[in-house]
Amino acid sequence: MGEQTWLIDAPDASLGAVVGLRPELAERYDALAEQVWRSGVDPVLLELCRIRVAQLLGDAAGAALRTPRAVAAGLDEQLVVRLGEWWSHPLFGTVERAALATAEQFVVDVHGVSDEGFAGVVQALGAPGAVAFSMALALFDGQSRIRLVFAAPSSAPGGAP
Amino acid sequence: MSTTPRVPSAVPDRPAAFGTALAHQPAMAAAFGELYGTFWSHGALDHVTKETARLRNARITDCGY
Repeated sequence: MGEQTWLIDAPDASLGAVVGLRPELAERYDALAEQVWRSGVDPVLLELCRIRVAQLLGDAAGAALRTPRAVAAGLDEQLVVRLGEWWSHPLFGTVERAALATAEQFVVDVHGVSDEGFAGVVQALGAPGAVAFSMALALFDGQSRIRLVFAAPSSAPGGAP
Repeated sequence: MSTTPRVPSAVPDRPAAFGTALAHQPAMAAAFGELYGTFWSHGALDHVTKETARLRNARITDCGY
């Protein structure tokens, strides 16, 4: 059982429960998410970006989640612990830094994603990978925002009882 | 924000645009089309409400498209 939600028809505030209120959308939403994870981009890289997006948006539930496909691909929790230091910590290489810089800028102000910055993503992932990565960021950003919107105020730290 | 496409078109003889860039990932493009099409053709919200939200979102993110 996840957090409470003010949506009276949803059993909890989990993304599956909320999106599941519209079954025709939920099925296709899941299909798109599946394609993101099957796109050929390293699932560990995607997971690091997903968690970082959740952290920046204050989505504690999303940040605590682990995508099974990423865990199966060898997600190192040390990377997660050091995620806030990606730009300087030696655990993060060129590819991770290019991806995480773009992920952060995507959330904070998408207009700030520079040609140079995105060129690093294209160089690291190729055009198909960069396209998948962009869709992944949109998906992760939306997942966290949906989760935050539908959580009950009483479940938020400092929120109304 | 750049106005120059950052990935080439995946469709021969077609310029780089959202759809032709997405075509680099055909399965993903198909899944996105299914979701987006379902969103616009089904559901509890009327089209005016959906379009109003879409336009407002585009303005806030300064997306001229």
